[in-house]
Amino acid sequence: MNAFVQYSVLNVLFAVLVSPLFMSLIKKVKALAQGRKGPSLFQMYYNLWKLLKKEVIYSSNSSWIMRVTPYVNITVMAVAALFVPLILIPQPVYGIGNIILFLYLLSLAKFFMALSGLDAGSAFGGMGSSREMTISALIETITIVVFAALAFALKTTNLHEMFLQILESNMLFLNPVLILISISVFIVLIVETARVPVDNPETHLELTMIHEAMILEQSGKNLALMEWSHAIKQLLFMGILINILFPWGIAVALTQYSIVVSMLAFLVKASVLAVAVGLFESSCAKSRLFHLPSLFTIALFFSVITILIEVFA
Amino acid sequence: MNHTKELISIFSKEIPAKNIVEGCNNEVYAPINEEEFAKAITTLSARDSSLISLFCAESFGKNKGFTLFYAFEKAGSEEIIILQRALKSNHANSIAEQFPSASWYEREIMDGFGVRFDDAFDKRRLFLHERYPDDFHPLLKSFKNEKVKMKSSVKPEDEYQFREVHGEGVYHIPVGPVHAGIIEPGHFRFSVIGETIFNLEVRMFWKHRGIEKLAEGKTPLECVRIAETISGDETVANAVAFSNAVEKISNINVPVRAWHLRTIFLELERIYSHLGDMAGMIIDIAYPVGASPFFILREEMFRQNDALTGSRFMKGIVAPSGLKKDIPEDALGNLSSYLEAFSGRFCEAIKVAHSSSFSVIDRLETTGVVRKDLIKPLHITGPVARASGALTDTRIDHPYGIYGNLGLSRKFLERGDVISRFDLKAAEVLDSVRIIRKMIKEMPKGSVIKAGDIADGYAISVVEAPRGQSVHWLYLKNGVVDRYKVRTASFCNWQAIEHAVLGNIVPDFPLINKSMNLSYAGTDL
Repeated sequence: MNAFVQYSVLNVLFAVLVSPLFMSLIKKVKALAQGRKGPSLFQMYYNLWKLLKKEVIYSSNSSWIMRVTPYVNITVMAVAALFVPLILIPQPVYGIGNIILFLYLLSLAKFFMALSGLDAGSAFGGMGSSREMTISALIETITIVVFAALAFALKTTNLHEMFLQILESNMLFLNPVLILISISVFIVLIVETARVPVDNPETHLELTMIHEAMILEQSGKNLALMEWSHAIKQLLFMGILINILFPWGIAVALTQYSIVVSMLAFLVKASVLAVAVGLFESSCAKSRLFHLPSLFTIALFFSVITILIEVFA
Repeated sequence: MNHTKELISIFSKEIPAKNIVEGCNNEVYAPINEEEFAKAITTLSARDSSLISLFCAESFGKNKGFTLFYAFEKAGSEEIIILQRALKSNHANSIAEQFPSASWYEREIMDGFGVRFDDAFDKRRLFLHERYPDDFHPLLKSFKNEKVKMKSSVKPEDEYQFREVHGEGVYHIPVGPVHAGIIEPGHFRFSVIGETIFNLEVRMFWKHRGIEKLAEGKTPLECVRIAETISGDETVANAVAFSNAVEKISNINVPVRAWHLRTIFLELERIYSHLGDMAGMIIDIAYPVGASPFFILREEMFRQNDALTGSRFMKGIVAPSGLKKDIPEDALGNLSSYLEAFSGRFCEAIKVAHSSSFSVIDRLETTGVVRKDLIKPLHITGPVARASGALTDTRIDHPYGIYGNLGLSRKFLERGDVISRFDLKAAEVLDSVRIIRKMIKEMPKGSVIKAGDIADGYAISVVEAPRGQSVHWLYLKNGVVDRYKVRTASFCNWQAIEHAVLGNIVPDFPLINKSMNLSYAGTDL
């Protein structure tokens, strides 16, 4: 059991501490693409530090929902971080890592976030929540199909086992099925982290916002927790994608040397992915709200193909 | 001017006005009595005229009471016809049924002067919000510019009533006046079904500055600074319009060199304003990579302005009867060589926006259509009108300065959506570059200011600002401003957005708004 505690502490702490870095890195890549200098790579840490010191202001219309949502979100993300091994795949897997439980943990966080958007009674919060729920209703089924395809391909619903399998059988890197699924997972990553073409994380235009509108009423420490949990969520999806495509470097045994190598390897892999996300965001404009399902359909298409291949091939 | 005489003779037959007089700047004033007013309005409405401004003056000429001025233009005619209606009391009838754009003017006059338009369909206050005291009319001569004692509370029944839309699934989104970004204040009341906009009402005038009152009692030289502050990126247009009015009243012939330089400034202003819009449209659809070339060019333009005039917004250079200082030849030479490179880079940026990502065009096409049949009733002007198939361009319709000799061609597009406005502005930027380079090449020598005494009188002056037609009416009495009325293009164009957004979805509103580039400050003087 001791090893499990060590894994938990390591993985969760790593996710929490490293996640803001990649938010800033994507911003930096986008800025460079526009010919600007962009913020420092540590900008999000500064922002979080600043916000954590600030007082929290609640709307007089808000209820306990507003007060618990930031803590629910950060807690859920910390628990979810157990499901996605970033630097160490523990053996045995201790019964955690069920993909369906993972997805519905994230839904729980989203549910509270949408409620808190409605809670303050402002026009934009409600608008953001309504849009987020519309998009969630569409993407949720697709996400389930995407991960079902992954489960079909790897014959397990446990994330830890999936990654272990890919890691152990070198052939899988060349398996075209996994590349198909990666495209779908990439789209899920873009949708879940509220990025262009679904949402615009940099906008100040309240009428176009989705994710930002929901947290518009959050302030101070609570806002820091909301932003931090968003960053962790992004890192977890990035972790899934990395481990499907290129798990090599991740530690399978807890030794000092392997952990350090694994951390460095993850930082390099995640940076490459963050650059890709930044370039992807820079390459297209935000889609019309009602044209979004066509993007989701691409993810659905590749997943269904995967399932067909796995079942009939 | 013979042309004007001819027009007067035609008019005296059609409009039952006596003593039609010629103004100083291609306008005719037709004094009209109360009984004949309705007939004159019907005639003008039948003649397909467009109401370009409606304003009030107290103690104008011999009339101690209120005089209403209704200014009309008609396509194909350079002259502006102004019906001059002396009121016997503070009551008048509304013409908003025939000329819908009159509605805001009448509400403005009601707030400013207390003139009641008893049969108007909209009698709500306009620029004075609820908390201003009752019977408070700041444009009256008896009112002294001092601190206003606001009402401490407003009863629910006195609150501003928005147009209500009811029905199953209809809900209202109030937006502003405080926004999430750093922009000016405006309140937008959307009635929405799902995401589709069913009705929109804009409410402006949150930062009334009292510019028209401030101008009263100032000398023309002092007042030009006030004209410059009406709206930041229409600085030159408004300063030129004001100065032009002063020059026409006093019959001062501004040196040609000054007009060449003024034309350069006016077109530079159009370029940087359009660049800002084009960047804004692309940034609003979250494609900053496509927007940054426009931002970069805009910043370079500001630096050119600064190098030329010492001000990024070209403030403090235009003055009545000329310019405050001359521009050296080498500075003009630098500008000309900069613009040579500019055109190529600008076209490259357009190409990037148009072709690099299909998603850009998808967002811009068919979004926010301004219908052509709205242009005349609402008097929409500028790029917004020209992108919807209108041929209006004040530089050609009512040429001022040396615009009449430039041989400008009218640019217009038909569809009226956001991409049309984007493309039209692109074409106008390239036109402006050509005009500036031509001006620099043909720059005459000589002085840039003409000494001359400033006479008393009144004149209208219209200028094509980047956003459209700016109308200034100036009345000088005893060497100082007695009444200064400004109507920028945005005052009319704001009302067009209420129609342009219908049937679009809420997340497309900021894009439509940006593409129309409406000035809050230019509306709320």
